[in-house]
Amino acid sequence: MTQPAIELDGVGKRYWKIQERSLLRSLVRFGPPNKTELWALRDANLLVEPGETIGIVGRNGAGKSTLLRLLAGVSRPTTGTVTTRGRIAPLLSVGVGFHQEMTGRENIYVNGMLLGFGKSRIDTLFDEIVEFADLADFIDTPVKFYSSGMYMRLGFSVAMHVEPDVLLVDEVLAVGDIGFRIRSLDRMREMHRSGTAVVFVSHWLQAVQLLCPRAVCMHRGQIVFDGPTEGALARHHELLTSDADSAEYARGTVRVENRQLLKLDGSPAGTVQQDSAMIYRVELHFDESVESPQVLFQVYAEDGTFVYQMQTPLGESWRTLSAGAIATLDVTFLPRFGGGGTFRNVVVVTSIDTSVTYVRDDGLAYFVEPRIGAAGLSDLEAKIAIDGVDRTESRPMRFGGTWAAVEGA
Amino acid sequence: MNNRSLLISLAQKEFRVRYKRAWLGVIWSIALPIFQSAVMVFIFSRVGRFGSGSSFNYAAFVLAGMVPWLYLSASVASSTTSIVDASDITVKIAFPRAILPLVSPVANLFTLAISVLILFIALPIVGASVGPRFLFVLPAAVLLCAFTATLGLALGALYVYFRDVKFMVQAVLLVWIYITPIVYPPSALKGAAPWLDFNPLTGIVGLFQRAVGAPVPSVRALLVSVATTLVLGVVAIRAHHRHDRLFVDLL
Repeated sequence: MTQPAIELDGVGKRYWKIQERSLLRSLVRFGPPNKTELWALRDANLLVEPGETIGIVGRNGAGKSTLLRLLAGVSRPTTGTVTTRGRIAPLLSVGVGFHQEMTGRENIYVNGMLLGFGKSRIDTLFDEIVEFADLADFIDTPVKFYSSGMYMRLGFSVAMHVEPDVLLVDEVLAVGDIGFRIRSLDRMREMHRSGTAVVFVSHWLQAVQLLCPRAVCMHRGQIVFDGPTEGALARHHELLTSDADSAEYARGTVRVENRQLLKLDGSPAGTVQQDSAMIYRVELHFDESVESPQVLFQVYAEDGTFVYQMQTPLGESWRTLSAGAIATLDVTFLPRFGGGGTFRNVVVVTSIDTSVTYVRDDGLAYFVEPRIGAAGLSDLEAKIAIDGVDRTESRPMRFGGTWAAVEGA
Repeated sequence: MNNRSLLISLAQKEFRVRYKRAWLGVIWSIALPIFQSAVMVFIFSRVGRFGSGSSFNYAAFVLAGMVPWLYLSASVASSTTSIVDASDITVKIAFPRAILPLVSPVANLFTLAISVLILFIALPIVGASVGPRFLFVLPAAVLLCAFTATLGLALGALYVYFRDVKFMVQAVLLVWIYITPIVYPPSALKGAAPWLDFNPLTGIVGLFQRAVGAPVPSVRALLVSVATTLVLGVVAIRAHHRHDRLFVDLL
């Protein structure tokens, strides 16, 4: 039995929200202290084996960053214990702790030492780090003249070469040029093979889906799901949706209720496959009588990019819906979004000439599984052939776990 | 072991970065102390007339007193804000935070060494004699560095919790130079002189001044310096030990 790389046992982290932090205030305290407690993390249990790659998903403020800080050892839990074994390399955001005035070379040394390496060890790794970052020509230039891509490559390269036992990755893969991204993924795969445990936190759900066989979903400071990534993402979207179900649209002439994402046979859709048509079904409740209402169906990507719209024949008179009427709106669509990701269905109900918008319902977010090799907002179903030989990407990218098992079967 | 090399390389970095874009570079680290000391000597030998009638060379006395003062004032201000200033590193990488307040005192060791060298060279110029008593700068420097480091550690930790500390430090530094016998000998205060001994800097500055011929500082002043350093050291180390991984919650 190998020992786990990461072990969280009943871990909680409490923050004090202090209104005003000044010496005067704390010396002269009138009445009760004006601080409220906030549990950013509560009763978290987690086991990660060496060589395991685990994803963490959750909305902003779900406790992901707090968890990472505890794992990185920069913060101490209020309750419970955090045990990590071996060297931990945090790959958190861009260019950790670089000094603008110093050259790339000087920064490599300081950064390597911060991660716990001695000078001689960095000496031996130096050339490899520079080569990996592809910065040989700029290594003696102060990093303030670096582009953001160069900056990121340098930070990434250092962290990748300190041979960590636990690698914490936070959002970094979403930036950088494609060549470096592929090199980084290869390097991570190599580290994974040599037993490095990887904790991958990202809002970029495709990456989580592609890299991690296992994921945890966090919600309001608690781990609410720990298991296969599909399950974690499904739970994540469930939570995204339930929180969108606020009372914001409860008032007005028209209300949108009972949002459902269904398969064609009417059963609820979990994660969405690109090839199977979906039905987005909502109820339109009319609190006042509306003459020939018009509907716009829109799809937005996670980052707010407008992806698609279909509308009813605007301006065409067709029927009056009286006060109290409930109409069922069915939108059938094929979720062909090449790279997959999170999308949101929006329903807008307007008056016949679109001059009055009765409701704009940011209803349902759902996750579309990526298609291997495909990226971008739409899927044109491209095939790449070279001299007549099909070279279209079809390899699974995931590290170990379920996809590899399928491959072997 | 790695922590020590990290501290040293951070100190080198700080020193290099400080003068990197300046045309005269490192010369500033020598020129500024000389200039400030010269101004002090000039003003106070005319205004205060502290020098007249004393048994030692007044210019040498002020120059010697300025050496520890310049080191302390340069180090303490940046030690205080060090942990907060480095928040982009401290929220991400785990390493002993106590290293950060120590960076500035270590980086300034080089400047301190140069100031001592300049003092040595300046003594004959201002007409003071140089003797074996100049070796007093060695224990003086050790005590000075220990005091500065522990003060920096304590203030650095405190500043994370109370952001007022930065301004209080600035205010105290403004006053401290005048309540320390740097530009005047303790004897100039007559009856109030014993009160100076409760200033932990008095003993340290006195040792430096002893090196250039001033009377030996009082035992009480020296004891206060040593005791303050020890107490600050214990308090600061315990504070860092307990709060090392809590600082980040407030950054």
